Amino acid sequence: MSQRSLLVGPFNRVEGDLEIRLEVAEGRVTNAYANSPMFRGFEQMMLGKVPIDALTITPRICGICSISQSAAAAAALGAAAGKPPAPQGALVAAILHGIENICDHLTHFNLFFCADFARPAYAGRGWHSRATERFTAMEGSAVRASVDARAQILHIVGLLGGKWPHTLAIQPGGVTRAPTARDRIRMMSTLAAFRRYLETVLFGAAVEDFAHLGTADALRGWAHGDAGLFNEIAADLDLGAMGAGPGRYMSFGAYPLPEGRSFGPGLWENGVLSPIDTDTIREDLSHAWMLGEGAHPSQGQTVPDEDMRDPGYSWCKAPRLAGRTVETGAFARQVVGGHAGALALALAGSNVQARVIGRLLEIARTQMLLEKWVAALKPESRFMDDVAVPQEGEGEGLVEAARGALGHWIRIEAGKIAGYQIIAPTTWNFSPRDANGTPGPVEAALVGAAVGDSEDTPLSVQHIVRSFDPCMVCTVH
Amino acid sequence: MANTETFYDVMRSQGITRRSFMKYCSLTASALGLGPAFVPQIAHAMETKPRTPVIWVHGLECTCCSESFIRSAHPLAKDVILSMISLDYDDTLMAAAGHAAEAAMMETIEKYKGQYILAVEGNPPLNEDGMFCISGGKPFVEKLKLAAKDAKAVISWGACASYGCVQAAKPNPTQATPVHKVITDKPIIKVPGCPPIAEVMTGVITYMLTFDRLPELDRQGRPAMFYGQRIHDKCYRRPHFDAGQFVEEWDDDGARKGYCLYKMGCKGPTTYNACSTIRWNEGVSFPIQSGHGCIGCSEDGFWDQGTFYDRVTDLTQFGVEANADQIGFAAAGVVGAGVAAHAAISALKSAQNKAQKTPTPTNEEA
Repeated sequence: MSQRSLLVGPFNRVEGDLEIRLEVAEGRVTNAYANSPMFRGFEQMMLGKVPIDALTITPRICGICSISQSAAAAAALGAAAGKPPAPQGALVAAILHGIENICDHLTHFNLFFCADFARPAYAGRGWHSRATERFTAMEGSAVRASVDARAQILHIVGLLGGKWPHTLAIQPGGVTRAPTARDRIRMMSTLAAFRRYLETVLFGAAVEDFAHLGTADALRGWAHGDAGLFNEIAADLDLGAMGAGPGRYMSFGAYPLPEGRSFGPGLWENGVLSPIDTDTIREDLSHAWMLGEGAHPSQGQTVPDEDMRDPGYSWCKAPRLAGRTVETGAFARQVVGGHAGALALALAGSNVQARVIGRLLEIARTQMLLEKWVAALKPESRFMDDVAVPQEGEGEGLVEAARGALGHWIRIEAGKIAGYQIIAPTTWNFSPRDANGTPGPVEAALVGAAVGDSEDTPLSVQHIVRSFDPCMVCTVH
Repeated sequence: MANTETFYDVMRSQGITRRSFMKYCSLTASALGLGPAFVPQIAHAMETKPRTPVIWVHGLECTCCSESFIRSAHPLAKDVILSMISLDYDDTLMAAAGHAAEAAMMETIEKYKGQYILAVEGNPPLNEDGMFCISGGKPFVEKLKLAAKDAKAVISWGACASYGCVQAAKPNPTQATPVHKVITDKPIIKVPGCPPIAEVMTGVITYMLTFDRLPELDRQGRPAMFYGQRIHDKCYRRPHFDAGQFVEEWDDDGARKGYCLYKMGCKGPTTYNACSTIRWNEGVSFPIQSGHGCIGCSEDGFWDQGTFYDRVTDLTQFGVEANADQIGFAAAGVVGAGVAAHAAISALKSAQNKAQKTPTPTNEEA
């Protein structure tokens, strides 16, 4: 059988630019190399700026997860100041962030991921005509319904944050907007409308029914709504056996509130949950076009190698936790957070289907959280405390973006930014090889993927890559 | 013409009703600052003119412009992107991938030579021969030049394409360069903002179709109908500014009462955009309404003007009755010399306009 090398890219329906080089033998991928071909240099630009300007500049790394970047910047500044935000301010920030995450999952499912099932290559499958009707890129009925639903729920971000994308409201001390009792009622009705969309279109049943599924079979066997259509397709295409991750799931924990994080933090491996020691994070530069030594992000630098020398093949650094790769994302968050169904799926192994189910689970659970949070708003409270950023100091801001663990590390000297490093979720998932030659999670997940003789952009590769919902503009920033 | 399908045909084939279509026409007319008399004109144009093919390419950017367009837009405006315009090529949204995607772009260029609009989101980095943004194995700047060669006109979406935006912040590591410095032989319309307002984006395209020409542009190449007024001129907090009532710190009593954010660093007085009239997320709100000052994201160089939260100046020197132009001059001195020149010129221009302006379809004087 033939051996060949394939260059897959540019990828569409992923956020940003991505190129993957594949070595193929006997109809299977034997090696994969993920390249993030876009570099802008945000970390260099931050140097010398006034620390609070990070709140305006870093969200502009990404137009899809800008609230996540904003929340991480505010958290890093708050950590440097050593003070928490006003509790009700943290609640509003959680609402803003939760809505962005739920929108991102909805976008991924309807606009980015399922569109592949409408491809002519799948004509003849029992579900193909239904998938085409629902998911055809830019035209499918599910695509349109989700775009409408998203625009509606984003009214809440408009109300609390002024605009989306690139919302400015989140500050180290809380948020700039104190919602009124009237705003609260308006948000409740917007959430009620979104719930109707979820229950009639996406889940075809009560949100709680889906959120409380406690076994792997129940999740994979869910047969209602578009979630059910996905499961039917996933079973037929065996997406549950495709794209295995490293089996180590990391989450920084989502939505920091005074009572704790709503989805808890940790590292999960083989059924054991342990706390994360962020001091053991190192960004390896051996296969990145970056100069200097690998370092902890609090000490890290970003100096691009303009000669793009070998063995570098990506602008992406390779973050490792205690020397090892980890998978991060909605599924990881649900596993680490201890959801019974997600845990059951994780024990069966990480794969394309599990990642998509993880997002669906999170949509359902986040809807429930949002309803609870809006009901808990107290308009008479303070929404911003005075949190003064110090002249000297360091801060670590850890949040969970839709795509997984996001960290900002800031060092302030003489009132100016002296160091700013960002590790985005896709930096973890799409990292290149490290000094030991260990491939990044996606590179490893692609090994073994089936490649047809006539395929130059293999479908299996696209399913696996998109199952991680890469955000390449965040990856290299 | 290779394609005689009209916008209306495309809309109908997508199941959009006549009623929705007429509603879209009147919404667009009002967004463009045109009277009801223009509604039939817009409708007629959309029924008879061939749809305009659009190639939408992405350079150094964050996709917030596309996101603003598809996520936050009015459902009718959103249909513009999803069906009416029928984007012939779009990196982010299209179905094809890999080589098929590249082929689709070349096919569109061939088929609609000289007819299509090139929409550019983001900008090319020129450092090191453009290697910081590689698309399909080639520097983005090459793709941009290739696509621009046979375009009828170029739209620079957002602050990135128009001015450079944050990736051009000092030290501009990749030499991110706005589109008009690379493409010099085509009409370019700048639609700045980070991102621009969705309704502004669809309004610009609809205008070009309806009147078969570029919209009237200001000195910076922005459509005057949307960028003719300062945020400050139409800000709902303006009465508090005039009355000398200001937010002094976050979440203080003044903040609760919706006082002016000038002292919190608001750049509304020096920023030309439609945020305070059209607003965001289907007209729900805009940054000032959320209690945060404007950062001036539709102005050139907004990312390198010192901190976003500095008081633009000490207000007492103006007195409480100071008007926007006075504030504009003084504030601009702090915000940056480039903006100052612009503010001065605009003030002059608007004075001239008042004296000798011929009627044009803008809301500049509304």
